[in-house]
Amino acid sequence: MSITGVRRVGTFLAVVGLLGLGVVYWLSFFWVSTEASQGIVQRIFYVHPPAAWTAFFAFGIAALTSGMYLWLRDERLDWAALSAAEGGMVFGTIMLITGPLWGRIAWGTYWTWEPRLTLTLLLWFIFLGYFMVRRSTENPEQGKRFSAVVAIVGALLIPFIHLSVVWFRSLHPEPVVVRPDGPLLPGDMLTLLLTSLAVFLVLFLGLFMLRYTLEGIRADLQVRARRAAA
Amino acid sequence: MHRLHQLVRGILTALLLAVSSSALAAQATSTNAIGGLRAYWHVFIAYAVVIVIVLGWVISIARRLKDVEQRLSE
Repeated sequence: MSITGVRRVGTFLAVVGLLGLGVVYWLSFFWVSTEASQGIVQRIFYVHPPAAWTAFFAFGIAALTSGMYLWLRDERLDWAALSAAEGGMVFGTIMLITGPLWGRIAWGTYWTWEPRLTLTLLLWFIFLGYFMVRRSTENPEQGKRFSAVVAIVGALLIPFIHLSVVWFRSLHPEPVVVRPDGPLLPGDMLTLLLTSLAVFLVLFLGLFMLRYTLEGIRADLQVRARRAAA
Repeated sequence: MHRLHQLVRGILTALLLAVSSSALAAQATSTNAIGGLRAYWHVFIAYAVVIVIVLGWVISIARRLKDVEQRLSE
C-alpha cells in the first residue's frame, strides 16, 4: 500500500474510532448495568483495561517491528516501531492515570507499589527511554538500533505484568476476562468491555497509520534534501 | 488538512456534549454507592482524560503532518 493509501485508511479508522468512543461513553452511562459492590466508579473499567490492552498491543508491535528492523534493516519497520511506541505511550498514559482514579475509590489509595502497578510503570519508563535513546546518539542509524533493543527488552515485561496478579497477592484483582475457565463478567459488562476494546484498537490502528505516514513523508523529505545537496 | 481540522473539532464537540450530559445524568442517580460524589468526579475525570490525551495525539499528528507537507511543497 502506498503512503497515500495508508493515510486514507488511517484517517478513516481514526474517525471511526473517535465516533466509536462517543458510542462507548454513551453505552457506559445509559445502557450497562451498575456493578453492585463498587457502584458508579466501576465504570472506569470500560476505559482502563481497554487502554491497558491497547498499550500492551502497541508495545508488542513496537518490539516485533524493532526485532524485524534489526534483522532486515528496512526503514519502514523502524517507522512502524516508532509509531507503535508513541501509541503505546499514549494509551499507557491513559492506563496509568485512569487506574489510580479508580483505585482511590475502590482501594482507598491512588497508588501502591505492588507487582503489577510497579512493572507497568517500569514498562512506561522503559518506552520513555526508547525515545530518549533514539535522540541521544549522534548517528541516527545507531539511535534506531539501540532503541530497537530497548523496545524488545521493554516488551518482555508484558507477560510478567499479566501474570503478576496470579503469582503474587496484591490489591490488583486477578484477571476477570482472560481466564482459562472463561470470563467472570455479566453479559452486558463483557459486551461493553469488548466493544470498548475494539474501539480503542481501531483508534490506535488509525492513528498508528497516520503516524507512520508522517515518518514516510519525513523520509521522503530527507531523500529530496540529499538529492538537492548532491 | 482544513477538513481534517473541522472534522476533529466537530467530533470533539460531540464527545464533550455526550460526556457532560452523561455526567449530569449520572449525578441525578443515587450517591449512596461507594465513594459518594467523589466517585462521580473520578469517573468524569477518567473519561475526560481519555478524550484529552487521544485528541492531543490526533492534533499533534495533524500538526506535524501539516508541517512536513508544507516543507515538501516548498
